Amino acid sequence: MSYRADPRLMSELKKYGAVNVESCFNCGNCTAVCPLSTEEDSFPRRMIRYAQIGMREKLLSSKELWLCYYCGECTATCPRQADPGEFMAAARRYAIAQYDRLGLARRLYTSAGFNALFLIVLTAALGVFLYSFHGPMATDALQLFQFMPSEVIHNLGVIAGILIAGTVLAGMINMIVRVGNEIKFVKGAPLNWLGAFWETIGEVLVKRRYRQDCEIDAIDQPWYYQKWFVHASILWGFLGLFTATALDYLLELLGIKPTGAWVPPWYPVRLLGTLAGILLMYGATVVIVRRLRQADEAAAHSTPSDWVFLALLWLGGMTGFALEVSIYLPQPGAWSYWMLLAHLVVVGELLVLLPFSKFAHAVYRIVALYVYALKPLPEQVAVAGTAE
Amino acid sequence: MAADRLQVDTIVIGGGIAGMQAALDLADQGYRVALVEKNPSVGGKMIGLSKVFPTLDCCSCITTPKMAAVAYHDNIDLLTYSEVQSVSRNEQGFVVQVLKKPRYVIDDACTGCRSCELVCPLDLPDDANEFGRTAHRVIYVPFTTAVPQKALIDIDQCVFCGKCLQACPSDAIDFSQLPAFLEIQARSIILATGYQVTRYDAKKQYGAGKLRNVIDGLMMERLLAPTGPYGRVLRPSDGKQPASIAYVQCAGSRDETLGVPYCSRVCCMYAIKQAMLLSGMLPLADITIYYMDIRTFGKGYEQFYRSAQAMGITFVKGKVARITEDADQNPTVRVELIDDHSQVVERKHDLVVLSVGMLPGGDPQALYGVPTSEDGFVRIPNYNVAPATTTQEGVFATGTAIGPMDIVDSIVTASAAAAEVSAYLQSHYAAGSLTDAERSLIHA
Repeated sequence: MSYRADPRLMSELKKYGAVNVESCFNCGNCTAVCPLSTEEDSFPRRMIRYAQIGMREKLLSSKELWLCYYCGECTATCPRQADPGEFMAAARRYAIAQYDRLGLARRLYTSAGFNALFLIVLTAALGVFLYSFHGPMATDALQLFQFMPSEVIHNLGVIAGILIAGTVLAGMINMIVRVGNEIKFVKGAPLNWLGAFWETIGEVLVKRRYRQDCEIDAIDQPWYYQKWFVHASILWGFLGLFTATALDYLLELLGIKPTGAWVPPWYPVRLLGTLAGILLMYGATVVIVRRLRQADEAAAHSTPSDWVFLALLWLGGMTGFALEVSIYLPQPGAWSYWMLLAHLVVVGELLVLLPFSKFAHAVYRIVALYVYALKPLPEQVAVAGTAE
Repeated sequence: MAADRLQVDTIVIGGGIAGMQAALDLADQGYRVALVEKNPSVGGKMIGLSKVFPTLDCCSCITTPKMAAVAYHDNIDLLTYSEVQSVSRNEQGFVVQVLKKPRYVIDDACTGCRSCELVCPLDLPDDANEFGRTAHRVIYVPFTTAVPQKALIDIDQCVFCGKCLQACPSDAIDFSQLPAFLEIQARSIILATGYQVTRYDAKKQYGAGKLRNVIDGLMMERLLAPTGPYGRVLRPSDGKQPASIAYVQCAGSRDETLGVPYCSRVCCMYAIKQAMLLSGMLPLADITIYYMDIRTFGKGYEQFYRSAQAMGITFVKGKVARITEDADQNPTVRVELIDDHSQVVERKHDLVVLSVGMLPGGDPQALYGVPTSEDGFVRIPNYNVAPATTTQEGVFATGTAIGPMDIVDSIVTASAAAAEVSAYLQSHYAAGSLTDAERSLIHA
C-alpha cells in the first residue's frame, strides 16, 4: 500500500495547536515515558513522525491518538521541549475536523473569529427559535412548561438528537473505515467482538488505565483531585443527567408522571439529576480552574474550543441548578422562566457542537478503545493443549 | 601579611591535560609560566581515566610524564592546592592574587615517603578521586601518581594525635601552617578551568541518584582503571560482577529539561570505549548501548564504533525514558525500540551506566571578566580564526573551558592557545620573554 505525503500537514497541524513539534529529533523518550505505550501500540513519537513526513492518512487512521489521556509526562521530559502531549491534543483536534465531512469543525478550530461568530449566531437563533414557542408566564405559581411546552422540548430534542446522531455516526464511520485499514489481523480469525465491547465500556466508565497508569506521578494528590476522577465526574455527571432526562421523558410516555409535575427532591429521577449535576459542576469547575491557572502540562494550552466546551458544560449545569432551586422556592421569580430558556439554549448548543468540537472525543475515543481492545481469540488448539 | 611576588609571561589556570600542555608548550619556547591548580595534584580529570579512545592507550602513561614535566620544568612555577582570589590589570598585564591553601605539611621538607599515612589512625572516604568507594587517611598523598608527591592533612577531620609528627623522618608536619598569599605579575592568562560532569542524579526518571546500581561514566572509568578501587568491575549494591551492563546515552546532554541542549561530544566515544574494555574484563557480559544518535566524528572514531559492533556490543536506538529497579536492585530500563517496530519494552540489567555530559568547570566572568556563551562555556568570538582568544585582551582559554571536547581536542586546542599566547607576547612585549632576574621570586 502506498501513501501520499502531504507537505502541508505540519503547518495544518500548527493551526490546530501543535507547538514546536518540528524540533523533535525522534529520540523516543515520549513513547518510552508514556505509561500507556505498549509493544503493540506506541505513541506519541510515531504520530509525530507521521506529521513530520506528511503521512496524513497514517495519522488519521491511528487509533493511538485517542488512547492518550494527556497526563503530560512526555511533555515534561521531552529533551527537545517539542511538547508531544500538546501535539497529540492538536492531532486529535485535526482528526475531529477531518472526520467531520461538513467542514464546520475545521472552521471552528482554526478561526477564533468564526468560532465566536458561530456561537453568537447559534445562541441568538436557538433563543429566538425556542422563544417563538413560548406560552404565558404564570405569576401565581411556577409553571415552567406552560411557558415552554414540554411537547415542544421533547419533539425538538428528538429531532435534534436524530440529526446529531446521524452526523456523529458519519464521523464515526469515517474514522472506523480509516482505522480499520490499519488493523492487520489474520483473515477469518475469530475476534473477541463482545469481550472488546465490555472492556471498552469498562474503560470508559471506570477508567482503570487512566487511574492506574496515567497517574503514577499524581499519587500524592487526593483521589478527588486526580485527573481521572475529575474527568470521570464530568462524564458520570453528563451521563447521569442524560439518563435522568430520558427517564423523565419515559415516565411521561408511560403515563406515570407528566413532565413538570412537582416531585420532592428525593424522587429517584430528580435525585439522580441532582447528584449527577453536582458531579458535572464539580468536574467542570476543577478543570476550568486548572486551565486558568495552567496548573500542569495538560492545562497549559487552551484553545477557544476547549473554553467553549467547558463553559457550555458549566453553564448547562449552573442553569440547571438554578431551575431546580427555583422549583423549591416558596416565591419563584420571573427569572426562572428566562433561566429555563437559557438552560435549553445552552444544552442545545452543546448538542449541536457535539460532532464539531472537543465533545466529539467522547465518540472517537470509544471507537479507538474498542479497536484497541479487539484481539484475535486464543487459538482453539492452544486451549486443547492446556486441557491435556 | 606581605605577599610573595612572582613575575611571569603567562599564568595558566588549571592543571589538567589542557593546562599542562599549554604550560609545557610555552615553557619549552622559553616563556616563564605559572601553573595554578586548585587540587593538591595536577593531572585533572584525565589522570583518573582508564584508557583514551580510539587508540586505547593508557591514560596514566600519557598524563604522568606531563605531570612530572610541569613540576620539574625550569620555566614553570607549579602552584598546586592554590586558588586565584582576584585579578586586576596594570601596565604590565595582570596582577593575579593566588591563595595557597595550607597542606599542614612543609612542601620543601616532605619527601613523599608516606610514613605518615601508615601511622595515621583515621580513614576518610575518598570522595574526590573514588566517589567514596575507597578510603584515604586524614594525612595522605592524594593518589599514587600524584604530582607533587607530597602529603596533606584534612585538618577538619584531624584529631591531632601527633602520630604523623613522630613518624615523619623529615619533620615536615606543621599544624600551625596558615594560608599563604602570592601575587603574580603576568603578561597573559590562559584559562584551562576544564569541566565538571552533569549530575547523574539530576533526572527523577533515572532514579535521581537513589538507584544503587545506576552509576555514571566517570565512576565506571574508575572501575575500569588499573588504579581503580577494586581492580575489577563490581556493581555497587552487592559487589556482584555484572553479567548485563547497559549504557544510557545522552543522560546529561541534549536534554533541554536539564538545561543542557548541546551535545557533550565525548559520551558516545567513552561509552563505546568502556564497552570494549568491559568486553575484555567480563567476556561473558552482555553490553547494550541505548542511544539517540551515535556521534563518532573524529579520526578513527567511526572505525572504533564498527569494531565495537563487531565485538558483539549491542547498539539499540532509543532514548531510555525511565529506570526503575526490582527487589534485587537490578535496574530496568524502559525504552522505545525505534528500529524495531517502535515497541516499548522494559529490559532488566545488572548495572546501568549513565553517559553523563560536560558542564563548565568554573565561572570565568566573576574573576576574569570573560563572558560565556549561552552554554556557559567561555565565549571565543572568532573560533575559526583564533580558537583560544577571548573577548578580553591578554586572556586566552583552552580545553574544555571553551566547550565540551575530548582529550585529543583538548591537547590540540592547548597547543593552539600556546601558539596564540606566544604570538601575543611577541607582538605586545617585543623584547620577548622575561629575564631570569625578572622572573625570580621577590620577597618583599
